[in-house]
Amino acid sequence: MGLAKEFTKGFWDELPPFRLVLGLCPTLAVTTAAKNGIGMGLATTFVLACSNVLVSLLRNIIPGKVRIAAFIVIIASFVVMVELMMQAYFYPLYQVLGIFIPLIVVNCIILGRAEAFASKKGVLPSLMDGLGIGLGFTLALGFLGSARELLGGGTVFGYEVFWSSFQPMAFLLKPPGAFVCLGLILGLMNIVSRR
Amino acid sequence: MNDILKMVIVLGSICTVAGLGLAGVQSVTKEPIEYQQIKFIKEPSVKAVLAGFENDPIKDRFNLPAGKDKKGRDVFQTVFPAKKGGQVIAMALDGSGKGFNGDIQVMIGIKPSGELTGISIMKHSETPGIGSRVTEAKFTDQFKKATVDNPTAVDGVSGASYSTKGVFAAVTNAVNFFKNNKQQILAQAGK
Repeated sequence: MGLAKEFTKGFWDELPPFRLVLGLCPTLAVTTAAKNGIGMGLATTFVLACSNVLVSLLRNIIPGKVRIAAFIVIIASFVVMVELMMQAYFYPLYQVLGIFIPLIVVNCIILGRAEAFASKKGVLPSLMDGLGIGLGFTLALGFLGSARELLGGGTVFGYEVFWSSFQPMAFLLKPPGAFVCLGLILGLMNIVSRR
Repeated sequence: MNDILKMVIVLGSICTVAGLGLAGVQSVTKEPIEYQQIKFIKEPSVKAVLAGFENDPIKDRFNLPAGKDKKGRDVFQTVFPAKKGGQVIAMALDGSGKGFNGDIQVMIGIKPSGELTGISIMKHSETPGIGSRVTEAKFTDQFKKATVDNPTAVDGVSGASYSTKGVFAAVTNAVNFFKNNKQQILAQAGK
């Protein structure tokens, strides 16, 4: 597989929340608005790309028996970095995402990519894989976030888009609404890919 | 044996590098984080109680020692000066007092002459609909007429005497600090 293929597979074939159905906790929890989803996605992308590169660099040094521990230390360090940076420069977003930023450590997409991909492949493919999967995750979260924000609140990125008499379905902003939206999207994607 | 040694060395060095890296990031981001926290939690209140300033009160803030707490650690009072044309026109101080349900944090604006410019409740956990009425303008606006000599000569919120007392305690704290350290505050603010 070429580098381009490693990059683009994250956008459809292995789109994390919808095709691999991984990383559902942030997918369901933070996608109440498009901005939150994209912020969460970009934070995850950063961690994913950095940890993939580092794991790939160290893949011949780390002994097999302690590899999971080593991966987690690497991932956790990058997550704390993201958390501090976000607090320092994007405080309002940090207030919204709150606990879900530290929880990126246990996001199974990241450990999954480190274990299944980066620990076996070279640095460049790993970087491409991390960026592709991460950006795919960002787009998925942004899409789900804008769908919920649009129907549940009548806004997109905070801007009113509907006529004034439009009654938003506030239910979609609640956790059950997240499951309903996710289910509909999964179904639609299955229909499309079965053709 | 060799295997174990390798594991220990590799894992140990990864942890060491990670720790050093994080310490570096932490020291770089410490100040911006402090600034952001003040900006997003205290700034709205600072802006609410100060008016007509031309400087950035958050940037010009300074700390003065305010005694010691129960464990003997130094406590600092942060002062946010408001300046116009280089002159200090007012300053904002925060105080806290015990309400019905935990501490009430209040930002208080004071002019150098001793008149209050207003108060704003930053954080409270009073009962919604009862104690929380102390945050309403009807109550807080009364402080705009008060002075440091008798800052709590205002009408309380009926049915919420604990919350009212909490706000009064917070205002009194800040005002007392201002009265006791007036020279020092004005000297620092004028810099």
